[in-house]
Amino acid sequence: MWGFTWTKLHMPKWFTPAAIVCGLMFAASPLLIANADYEATMGLVQKIFYYHMPSASMFLISGIVCGIASAFYLFGGNPRYDRVAWSAAELAVLFGIITLITGPLWARKAWGTWWLWDVRLTASLMGWMISVAYLLVRRYGGAGSDKLAAGLALFGMANVPFIYISVNYWRTIHPPTSVVPTLPASMGVPLWFCFAAFLLLFIILLTLRLHLEDQRARVDALHLALED
Amino acid sequence: MKRILAIVVLGIVCAMPAAAQSGGAPQQPQRQDEFVPISQLPPQDQLPAAPLLISAYIVVLLALFAYLVSVSRRLGAVQREVERLEGDLKRSGRA
Repeated sequence: MWGFTWTKLHMPKWFTPAAIVCGLMFAASPLLIANADYEATMGLVQKIFYYHMPSASMFLISGIVCGIASAFYLFGGNPRYDRVAWSAAELAVLFGIITLITGPLWARKAWGTWWLWDVRLTASLMGWMISVAYLLVRRYGGAGSDKLAAGLALFGMANVPFIYISVNYWRTIHPPTSVVPTLPASMGVPLWFCFAAFLLLFIILLTLRLHLEDQRARVDALHLALED
Repeated sequence: MKRILAIVVLGIVCAMPAAAQSGGAPQQPQRQDEFVPISQLPPQDQLPAAPLLISAYIVVLLALFAYLVSVSRRLGAVQREVERLEGDLKRSGRA
């Protein structure tokens, strides 16, 4: 099923222990979430929060990483940054889809509807669509698509602060950012534990995905060497 | 005798629709001519949270697992390609 030989991957030394720790954290997270207090008005469904908020954060972090790497690539020309941007864009799509599915599942019970054209939700959908557009441009854009996609990534990054602050500046049904710092320990500890697990997972997936791009670059170099 | 039995059966058959109409069988729900809004759902109609919660966690784990499988398959394909090209390069004496 995995399709590759682990020992031939040549990953950094920290990679395997980090992957084990991350797996253990994900295995332990349901215990912490189950023992967390219920929220007074939303009850059981509020526990979606413990995976929804970290995945949404990783979605935004992926957008920032993709944007910064794209800026370095556009203005510096180092192809390594382009590979980082491509890897981060794929993770933005992954964590974005998780956020956009878990959010409506929570909203259906908490708000009585699957979706609202609320600023936070709409901006998040736009951010996700920019990430999908990035991948489509890279896949089907042909020659020069790397620069075009890098420009797109800058717009994706510009959308990130807008998504984050939207709940504080507009009248919206989505909980504001002030909810997280004011959480009691019974809810804060599971949340930050899950956040750490997702952050570690993000770093692992980014490293793995970047390794794939590096290997693809190596294949291109080997093809050129054979042709010479 | 046969004539009496036939009259009784005919009487029962004729009386059945009237009996059904009078409340023996369950009545059809009345047609709704207007929708009446209420601000809150009655408790028996409220959506249970557990299926939504479980669905959310299943979606997260499935998405992550599917992505891991996808990346590892792509890595496997590239790894095989690298090995093949390195072998070709060695055989051609340019390595």
